[in-house]
Amino acid sequence: MPEKTSDLIQGTLDMLILKTLALEPMHGYGISIRIEQISSGVFKPNAGSLFLAVQRLERDALIDAEWQPTENNRRAKYYSLTQKGRKRLNDETREWSRQIAAVARILEAS
Amino acid sequence: MASIRNIARGLRSLFRKQKVEQELSEEIAAFAEMAVQEKMKRGLSREEALRAVRLESGTVEIAREEVRSATWESFVEDIWRDFRFSVRSLRKSPGFAAIVILTLALGIAANTTVLSWISATLLNPVPGAARTSDLVAIDRGDRDGYATPPFSYPDLRELTEQTQTFSGILGYHNDYMALTGVAKPERIFGALTTASYFDVLGVRPILGRTFLPEEGTPHAGAAVIVIGYAVWQNHFAGDPQIVGKTIQINRHPYTVIGVAPRDFTGCATGLRAELWIPLPMDRDVWGGNRIDYRGSVWLNALGKLRAGATKGQAEAELNTLMQEIVERFPEDHRDRSNEISLDPLWRSRFGLNGFLYKILPMLLGLAGVLLLLACANVASLLLVRSVGRRREIAIRIGMGASTTQIIRQFLIESLLLGLLGGTAAIAIAMWTSRSLVAFFPPSNLPLTNDAHIDQRVLFVTIAVSILAAIIFGILPALRSSSLPVQDVLKEEATSVSLNVHKSRLLSGLVVAQISLSLVLLVCAGLFTRSLLKAQQTDPGFEASHMLLASYDLSPAGYTLETGTAFNRQVLARLSALPGVESVTLADFSPLSFSIHSDYLEIQGYVPQPHEWMEISRAIVGPNYFRTLRTSLISGREFTEADMPDSQFVAVVNQAFVDRYWPGENAIGKQVTDNGARFTVVGIARNAKYRSLTAPTEPVIYLPIYQAFRSAKETTIHIRATGDPLTIASSVEDTMHQLNPELPLFNVNPLSVTMQLGSLVGRVAATFASSFGLLAMLLAAVGIYGVVAYTTRQRTREIGIRVALGAEKRGIYSLVLGQGFRLTLAGLVVGTALALASTRFLKAQLFGVSQTDALTFTTVGLLLAAVALVACHIPARRATRVDPMVALRHE
Repeated sequence: MPEKTSDLIQGTLDMLILKTLALEPMHGYGISIRIEQISSGVFKPNAGSLFLAVQRLERDALIDAEWQPTENNRRAKYYSLTQKGRKRLNDETREWSRQIAAVARILEAS
Repeated sequence: MASIRNIARGLRSLFRKQKVEQELSEEIAAFAEMAVQEKMKRGLSREEALRAVRLESGTVEIAREEVRSATWESFVEDIWRDFRFSVRSLRKSPGFAAIVILTLALGIAANTTVLSWISATLLNPVPGAARTSDLVAIDRGDRDGYATPPFSYPDLRELTEQTQTFSGILGYHNDYMALTGVAKPERIFGALTTASYFDVLGVRPILGRTFLPEEGTPHAGAAVIVIGYAVWQNHFAGDPQIVGKTIQINRHPYTVIGVAPRDFTGCATGLRAELWIPLPMDRDVWGGNRIDYRGSVWLNALGKLRAGATKGQAEAELNTLMQEIVERFPEDHRDRSNEISLDPLWRSRFGLNGFLYKILPMLLGLAGVLLLLACANVASLLLVRSVGRRREIAIRIGMGASTTQIIRQFLIESLLLGLLGGTAAIAIAMWTSRSLVAFFPPSNLPLTNDAHIDQRVLFVTIAVSILAAIIFGILPALRSSSLPVQDVLKEEATSVSLNVHKSRLLSGLVVAQISLSLVLLVCAGLFTRSLLKAQQTDPGFEASHMLLASYDLSPAGYTLETGTAFNRQVLARLSALPGVESVTLADFSPLSFSIHSDYLEIQGYVPQPHEWMEISRAIVGPNYFRTLRTSLISGREFTEADMPDSQFVAVVNQAFVDRYWPGENAIGKQVTDNGARFTVVGIARNAKYRSLTAPTEPVIYLPIYQAFRSAKETTIHIRATGDPLTIASSVEDTMHQLNPELPLFNVNPLSVTMQLGSLVGRVAATFASSFGLLAMLLAAVGIYGVVAYTTRQRTREIGIRVALGAEKRGIYSLVLGQGFRLTLAGLVVGTALALASTRFLKAQLFGVSQTDALTFTTVGLLLAAVALVACHIPARRATRVDPMVALRHE
């Protein structure tokens, strides 16, 4: 586990959540763990900012939610990507790659 | 992004708050629990896991608050909470709330009232028309004179045919017509119009059609009529089959072709026209053939600008066209300046707007000052109140309320007060907006006023209330949000006192109130003095004991001979009545906008090029000058002997002689009017017939039996020995005996009807005075409140002073001195403000300079006296402070 977690650039958490949900519907904690695992612990969204982003995405109709029982007999909201969310994810991924490439070029040029 | 889903979710969480919050808590709790389980799997004990999770993610409550506060509905909820808090806190101090709401209500109501008039007149010049923003009034000649119709029909037709900048031009001539052939003939104000009239205005009839182009052609035309909604309802019981039926106007038959919409009353703002007939019918309605003559200037004109054309282009084009016409027909255009000017309808000279546009914006300015003063007053009340709430606010800040939250709470309370004040103001203004009509005396003018609170006024009133709330709320809010919390909490509750900033602010507010009320009082004083001066001027006739009554012979079918015989009978019968000192007739009455004018040729006088030779012309009966007590300087007045078969005679006034025959003997000179030559036999003192405040103008008087004009109303002037109203019924009975069919209208004392001539002055003086008195009251309450408050704050200090041997006189002058300094500062600032602003009133003042020393001094002294009386009460109270009580107080 790395010592330090990074703060996310504003707006990227939304994208990461969408990406996570593209694989399968998931509850809040699952999303958090998945982001932490895939980023090897660089990003570790806490409950507040995670649900804030989830609420925003849900209100923009990018994801849907459904209450389902969890493994340990509680219930949690499972989120899944909507058609609109999938499209947004594709758009943002493309845009992100374009920007990364551009930033990389600038950094290498100097 | 405010998607529908976002709004739906927001509404759900607003209305099912508990469920939504509980779900969110549950979700976050599940999250936390899963995190704990995860950590326990890695070997931590439950306690350690719980602590670790809390460290990482914070508590469930904090997370929930974080998520919740990001939504729009949580903002709404906070506002709602602040709102309920404000309501509770105001209900706890009902006295304070009542005073603030009343103060605001008066200030806002003044504005709403004036706005409702502006909305009904300046902003809605042609009720019932589709759009008026691209309409302009087309005027000709100098603007200083009285509005007389500017165009002849041939000129107007050429302009209409040749213009490229107007998509349409209409012409009309307003006057009374009589609806005859019904049980009770009635005079109705109407208009002869060009066929384009309704199309240019964009008015569609609610029944039938409007005029066809051929119906407006000279010498052709058609006896057709469009009637107004009220005529249709009142005289024809709203008959749905009215179109195609024949009605009689001035005893000629007309076919009804259409009914105008309910709101439409013609295009001269404030005058109610209800009948419309094509121009060529002039020969039937008023027996004239003015339509043929370039020299007959009788039409008012309105034009609709073509899309894309500017007013400047249109004005330039019409002037070029007019210049061409003048060159072709110089003889017909000698008498008047031929310069054409275009006015937007809000300041068109045709109708009431010509007067109102000068005065209503000024009244709105005064009302605005009053509102500003009310705001200053309320701000000082709020400030004092906020001092009492220091602990409450300090505690809230200590509990974590942010500056924004405190300011928001204060502003919401102010908004609540502002909107309550606005609501009360609308209730007041529903009544006061109708008061403009109370300034119109009964008159022969068909004045209409339907000022009421329309949507536009309502909207602006709400906006003004909110703006006022921000103005008076912002200072106390800012001051309170920056409290030194520690100090305040350490203070003893009873020793709360003003800090330097606040007391300076309070003093500033008092100075503002005194100075603004000085401005308003000075305006009130100047207007009132103008009005008094105007009423003290000698009008040149004696209005007391005069009774007027009017009738109209032409629609009743009188000819020159029968009319003359009837008028002679009227004079003979009425002068025999008991209580009547003398009787005469005239075709006008003084100071009621009813005097006519004629184009005159004056023997021996060569007019300047384009000099306006249209001169006021009064047609009067025998004994006119004796009855009105207008003395003759030389010569004689008209008698029963001045008949059509004797020499045609005239009387002119002194101004006429001074203007056209200076230094000459006017008696025996000749004046030509309408082709008839009149010899001057008398010179009368100047009398004011149009306005008390305007300079006297030349007037020519012609005898009624020699210059009988058909279609014009005749007004009986009776000098009674006692109260003129006591003889009114016997006059009416006599007239009824003479001709039971002939309606007698506007039976009123001259002293009443002549009030019309001072309409603007009375409106200005009345409103400025009520605003001024209100302002003085508010300022007095304001200074009393602040001095009383600061004195109470100093109770302990005063107690110590008394204990140390201060005398009562000293204490008294200590308190009074504070009030006096504030008053003095207010008077100085106010005088400067007033001097800077009264020059805008200059045009409306009469006989008083806008820097009138007497007014300024009186107002200053009055205000000082009122302020000192207001300070006297707390000063007296201060002298009664018992040092023992004051010191033990703490």
